[in-house]
Amino acid sequence: MNIYLPIAEMSVNVAVFLGMGCAVGFLSGMFGVGGGFLLTPLLIFMGVPSAVAVGTGSMQILASSVAGGIAQYRRKNVDIKMGLVLVGGGVVGAVIGVALVRILRQIGQFDLFVSLSYVLFLGAVGGLMLIESIGTIRRARPGQPLPARKTGQHSWVHGLPFKMRFNRSKLYISAVPAALIGAFVGFMAALMGVGGGFVMVPAMIYLLRVPTSIVIGTSLFQIVFVMAATTLLQAMQNKTVDVVLALLLIVGGVVGAQLGVIAGARLKGEQLRFLLAALVLLVCLRIGWELIARPEEIYSIGPLLGVS
Amino acid sequence: MAGNRTRMIGVRFAAASCAALMLAQSALAQGLQKAPAGAPLQRNLPPVLMGPRQPPAPTLAEPRPPPVEKVEADVSTRSVEVTTGFTGHEILVFGAIDHSQQPDDATDNYYDVVVVVEGTPYPVVVRRKSDVAGVWINTSSVLFASVPSFYAIASTRPIDQIAGPGVLEVNSIGFAHIKMTPSPGIRWKLSEYELAGFKAAVIRLKQKEHLYIVESKDGVTFTGRSLFRSTISLPGNVPVGPLVARTYLFRNGEVLSAHIARVKLERKGIERVLHDFAFRDPFAYGVIAVMLAVIAGLAGSMMFRRETA
Repeated sequence: MNIYLPIAEMSVNVAVFLGMGCAVGFLSGMFGVGGGFLLTPLLIFMGVPSAVAVGTGSMQILASSVAGGIAQYRRKNVDIKMGLVLVGGGVVGAVIGVALVRILRQIGQFDLFVSLSYVLFLGAVGGLMLIESIGTIRRARPGQPLPARKTGQHSWVHGLPFKMRFNRSKLYISAVPAALIGAFVGFMAALMGVGGGFVMVPAMIYLLRVPTSIVIGTSLFQIVFVMAATTLLQAMQNKTVDVVLALLLIVGGVVGAQLGVIAGARLKGEQLRFLLAALVLLVCLRIGWELIARPEEIYSIGPLLGVS
Repeated sequence: MAGNRTRMIGVRFAAASCAALMLAQSALAQGLQKAPAGAPLQRNLPPVLMGPRQPPAPTLAEPRPPPVEKVEADVSTRSVEVTTGFTGHEILVFGAIDHSQQPDDATDNYYDVVVVVEGTPYPVVVRRKSDVAGVWINTSSVLFASVPSFYAIASTRPIDQIAGPGVLEVNSIGFAHIKMTPSPGIRWKLSEYELAGFKAAVIRLKQKEHLYIVESKDGVTFTGRSLFRSTISLPGNVPVGPLVARTYLFRNGEVLSAHIARVKLERKGIERVLHDFAFRDPFAYGVIAVMLAVIAGLAGSMMFRRETA
């Protein structure tokens, strides 16, 4: 069965897009990532104009994050106080990101910059997570219990001012690194059309030492608010949010997210991180390959929009 | 020939029919003096064509000129509606030749008919990548101020057998002759050769998207002496907007007559409501999009709480 999309202006197969939404939603629920870094390239691959893919993607990520976030909230896995700090930073970062997007479009290198950012962030984050999770899995294998987190451990993070008590995360740390992480993720959300969970999750785990279970719910909390703002901005400035396409992806995504949360609860933190790392690296390699391989078609066409 | 390129379509049609009239008055001096606007040269005519041209030749001496052929055409659907179920549409372009002199059993291309269906022109930016230190980067670009969003062509024979490049160019028939004017504001001066590469890329990429189409070999077929028909398939991703269907009647590499029909391609029903809403009141549309997403997320998680709790 086909349906015609009013903004993308194309006819698509309903089952295919429902399935895509479901698959991305599953990963979203399982890892706490918005899934934008998978969804946006997938939509473009299916022939959706890239601007519409980015705009509509933000609406889908919003819905799937709400669904995933609620499920995490019920499991008491959301540190709302930390989430609010992240949101505050996120809004500032998004404003800066939007300004940079305009400059990059003017000089015609927006796509290149986005691809390079993907490769850089996905590569670094995926690589680090892969090494760390393999190490943890190896150490855990002989059956000994993992060494408990040392509460007295201090790093440079603990020397910063504006200390706050984050009860849910069992942390008493400065709000500055959390706000910076939020800002950086908001910046990326505007620039790359992603939720930013794949950077936020590891940053919170490794820099802030937030427990893995809390990280996922809290990062979804931040993504919900940043994506709501992004969806509104995309609809107003670029008119690239296709509600019909988004609803198709959302219906699939909401189902997938619930299944993902259930599946994620059965896996250990380090196993989850290993799987996410593998996925992130795959996407990184794919995008990196496109940058260096001789393209079949060296020309590309686009509408005037976004050039001048 | 290059000078003709700048002519407007309307002017061309006037010129073509004018030429046809003059021809008739000059008592069928067809094959030889027929070079209106200087465009098509006799040497462009394939020698094969001279065969079927023999029958009228004896009438050359007769004083009364035969009536001039004229093509009349129409499309089956004047208005195509783009609704939720739209997956493309086939339009039938049909017509007749007035005063057809085609022999009854005519199958050997006495006349040729070409049908071109074109979408609204819009500006297109073409970018070219090149290898910069191992990474493929967009290094040059050309802005074409006006490129047809859609272009479908159907003809009785491959167009290069119907007429010479001059005539095709003047009438924008065939991919190679689509009007594409680079914007005057190109920053990097490109050679004619480089520009041709950019033009070819537009055509190639548009064909890949099924937006530039050549209908199969017998795209236009004759029924009897004067009736012809042709089907043009609009794909599901055809850009919404008015279409123009141009029908040309050819004889010996010359346009005898031409006809223009218009097809409306419009959004209808819910498609129209949503599209208009998104463009007329983007803030409200955005707010509703956010609300829909949140409600869908909440509904989904509530639905699943009952099942899993």
